[in-house]
Amino acid sequence: MANINEATIDSLVELSRIRCSPEERKRLTHDLQKILAYIDQLNELDTDGVEPCCHVLEGTTNVFRPDLVGKILSRKTFLDNSPQHTGGLVRVPTVIKT
Amino acid sequence: MEWETVIGLEIHAELNTKSKLFSVAPNHFGDEPNTNISEVCTGQPGSLPVLNEEVVRKAVQFGCAINGRINHFSKFDRKSYFYPDSPRNFQITQYDQPIISGGVVFAEVEGTEQSFQVNRVHIEDDAGMLKHFSNFAGVDYNRAGVPLIEIVSEPCLHSPKEACSYAMAVKAILQYIDASDCNMEEGSLRFDANVSVRKKGEQALRNKIEIKNMNSFSFLELAIEAEVNRQIAFYEKDPHGKILQATYRWDPEKKETVLMRRKEKAEDYRYFPEPDLVPILLDEAYIQEIREALPELPLQRERRYVKELGLSSHQAFVLTYDKPLADYFETALDITPQAKALCNWLTVEFAGRFKESGKNLVASGIPASHVAELVVLIDNGTITGRIAKSVADDMVAHPARAPAAIVAANPDYQPVNDTGEIEKLVDQVLAENPQSITDFLSGRDKAFAFLVGQVMKMTRGKASPQVVNDLLNAKIKHAAK
Amino acid sequence: MMHQLSARALRDEVAAGRLSALEVADYFLKRIHALDGDVGAFLRVLDARVREKARAVDEKRQRGEPLGKLAGVPIALKDNIHVEGEISTCGSRFLTNYKAPFDATVTRLIEAEDGLIIGKTNQDEFAMGSSTENSALQKTFNPWNLKCSPGGSSGGSAAAVAARMCPLALGSDTGGSVRQPAAFCGVVGLKPTYGRVSRNGLVAYASSLDQIGPLATNTDDIGLLMDVIGRHCDKDSTSLRWDAESYALEGGIQGLKIGVPWLFLEQLAEEPKKHFMAALETLKSLGASILDVDLSILKYSLSTYYILATAEASTNLARFDGIRYGVRAPEAKTLEEVYELSKEQGFGAEVKRRILLGTFVLSSGYQDAYYKKAQKVRRLIIDGYKAAFAQCDLVATPVSPFAAFEMGVIKDPLQMYLEDIYTIGINLAGIPAVSVPAGFTTDKKPLGLQLMGPVKEDQRVLTAAYAFEQAAPFAREMPPLKEVK
Repeated sequence: MANINEATIDSLVELSRIRCSPEERKRLTHDLQKILAYIDQLNELDTDGVEPCCHVLEGTTNVFRPDLVGKILSRKTFLDNSPQHTGGLVRVPTVIKT
Repeated sequence: MEWETVIGLEIHAELNTKSKLFSVAPNHFGDEPNTNISEVCTGQPGSLPVLNEEVVRKAVQFGCAINGRINHFSKFDRKSYFYPDSPRNFQITQYDQPIISGGVVFAEVEGTEQSFQVNRVHIEDDAGMLKHFSNFAGVDYNRAGVPLIEIVSEPCLHSPKEACSYAMAVKAILQYIDASDCNMEEGSLRFDANVSVRKKGEQALRNKIEIKNMNSFSFLELAIEAEVNRQIAFYEKDPHGKILQATYRWDPEKKETVLMRRKEKAEDYRYFPEPDLVPILLDEAYIQEIREALPELPLQRERRYVKELGLSSHQAFVLTYDKPLADYFETALDITPQAKALCNWLTVEFAGRFKESGKNLVASGIPASHVAELVVLIDNGTITGRIAKSVADDMVAHPARAPAAIVAANPDYQPVNDTGEIEKLVDQVLAENPQSITDFLSGRDKAFAFLVGQVMKMTRGKASPQVVNDLLNAKIKHAAK
Repeated sequence: MMHQLSARALRDEVAAGRLSALEVADYFLKRIHALDGDVGAFLRVLDARVREKARAVDEKRQRGEPLGKLAGVPIALKDNIHVEGEISTCGSRFLTNYKAPFDATVTRLIEAEDGLIIGKTNQDEFAMGSSTENSALQKTFNPWNLKCSPGGSSGGSAAAVAARMCPLALGSDTGGSVRQPAAFCGVVGLKPTYGRVSRNGLVAYASSLDQIGPLATNTDDIGLLMDVIGRHCDKDSTSLRWDAESYALEGGIQGLKIGVPWLFLEQLAEEPKKHFMAALETLKSLGASILDVDLSILKYSLSTYYILATAEASTNLARFDGIRYGVRAPEAKTLEEVYELSKEQGFGAEVKRRILLGTFVLSSGYQDAYYKKAQKVRRLIIDGYKAAFAQCDLVATPVSPFAAFEMGVIKDPLQMYLEDIYTIGINLAGIPAVSVPAGFTTDKKPLGLQLMGPVKEDQRVLTAAYAFEQAAPFAREMPPLKEVK
């Protein structure tokens, strides 16, 4: 079983960008440990040679649409929902150019 | 110490479909920000992707054009990372089952034809654009969701010139099948280079540096060159040192590669199959139909020019690997069959005239028919080659003016055809330069050229050099008797 | 009384002109305003909108135009289903100011048939929960016992229908979130075959498991609503390419073989077991035969679900970052703070827990052992159901190990997850399943019977539920709420 400790939580927090207080971190470590201990039961099953299920709609392939322009979202509607916007752009704090 | 350069090129080409990859918003550059958007490409909760069939078709076309393997089964995956230009904070791409595997690209590198291996080509969606201001940044999602094909080469390019030629060849293929606008300034064609060096004979690959932000072929070549030199200098100073994997960007002002960010640990993109999309399953009939309908490709056209028009391989490559130029050439060819002469005017004479300004003949406004006309005028003796060069200068300055009109309007361009006139001038020159005659007769060929030059000067270049030559020869022989 | 009529009967009254749509709308608005103070099912009542739409239906009838299949019927939508221009909170603080920029396909389909969308209902935040206690916005109480949970995550929709504040509602079901609240609230709830109802406009929790499902006071009304919303949608790539089907439900179950996975139900407590056995007797009396089937693979369904659902959810919820929409933390100064503070403040504890778990099972070094393993076990579960259906036509189980529990009593997340043990396998296999009221505990809390069938056998599932319901009409009982004059 994977060993979840606070370092694991730290890296998960970083990956998911969810900030947590130290108490929350402790609680989450404990919760995840418990859940993963339960999930460990999957190791009882021999799944060698079993095809993973990627889509429950078996055999469905090739869902396409024609190359046509359709209904556009108006800029006003889009920006009305955005917390900050300037000059038609969604506004965010300065970003280091990467 | 002999060093070997190892380069892999990742090319992102925006496909020129009408609508985006998974969104029905328009796929169009240059419009007001956030006006070509839908709920899908702005990542609205509750929105779902639906695949544009034309993207699949264009990807397969490209795969056929490079003789790659069109995978019957391919699927999409989510690639997770956080950035404001990403509407969902995951990109939909193809990770382990891309639509195309393998492929070959032919290119001319410094006069020799070479082939380069492609590793894979896959479909993915583009991100929006971040605009940086003094104390904030703004995001425009017009580009978010635009369809991309990512063309990944094997690390088989061994010099900046090879990388450049390969890149140009890929661009040409994309243009020939009309899959992309290939506009590097607008960003519809982008290059990332992975560069490393190693000692000749060394088997393993050393750590590579990724270079981004090279938006012209000359920058591509310069940037790779600069980076190769930087790495060699590093290893020569510290033979056992390790270059840390990082991303650099090309700074055109500083003319060097500048560190953007280190890759301390590989990014964990947590790829997994996209549950909102179903896989693609293609059959041979679909692929064959596309393959058969392919237009003439750059290499085929090159071969044709060599075989049917008698151009050299190099000349043919220069023309055909620049599709607009080759099309221009063929338009002119409809008017005059002087393929070699046309080729020279296009690729040497006019190319040279536009080099300084950075513009090019095709975009200059000079119609192909005018260049053809110029060749015809030389061919039928209306003007001399030298006059033609001046006419060409005028054409560049005034793109709308036809050569015949330019010649008719300028008396200096009227050739002197009156043999009698020329003969008088020849006599005059010979009379004024007895020493040259003597020099020539005693074996100095340069003296003859000097005499020709003098006559040409007096006619202000308008006499036919052939006529001048013949007359001088005849008169000197006569005088020698 | 109007609230005692089925949706179909209401619709017929309106179509015949005996009731106006506006009368119907006002009647139910009055009920909502009288009762919802105690129940807390609705986050938002769309008074103005529903009255406007009702007037339009009445005008249509006056012009002699034919009316739609849902004419004048008030319908509540779970708050993760979009109505353009109206707020969709998904039960979260993050989206308290988010106006849906487009209609969900189901919204369009309902309104095209003259249905009246009367309000948006409460839910566990982003559909993560089994009690509606995870809503960041308000509490919803079970109309049968106001100290108890209505179930979740579609608790608001189930409570609204149970209290007869509207005859129909839509919820979403990812691991049981329509069926379990239906059982807790004594109403009928269906999770259709995966892909039967469009997910366009449903805020995604787990894409390969989510389905919108109807809730009603009787099975025939479920069929009525499914007839409207069970359509192919070209904006949803996972939508079934399949014509709308007939929901004629009167065929009966003579000769039907119903499988029961006894081994899997070993842990069932006395009281629910008693009612389940009684339900089986009812089915037998209607001509069905009961046989034992092996679904012991379902022992692993919870683990499989909590890997796959959280993995998908961790990426589906990544988009909530305070940049394009939703609440941005006002004190955020840098980009990283926009992400981190907005998520810290916007998401509740359960959502954070599942996002972290989902991130973990996908992360490098763990993906094979967890995510890929779960995909394989999912295959085994699908095969398990297939094998069972080779021997029987439908499978029956209880919906939940117990009836509605008191609010605030279950604090351990894992214990809450175990609530869904009978419902979760269905979502993993994409098969249709219905919860139909099957009795009451001694303290008068509803219990549900779950019937499930193979993929695309929604009609057969509902036919069995209909037959059962005719013979054992528990759904006709109404919760002890105050009278509305």
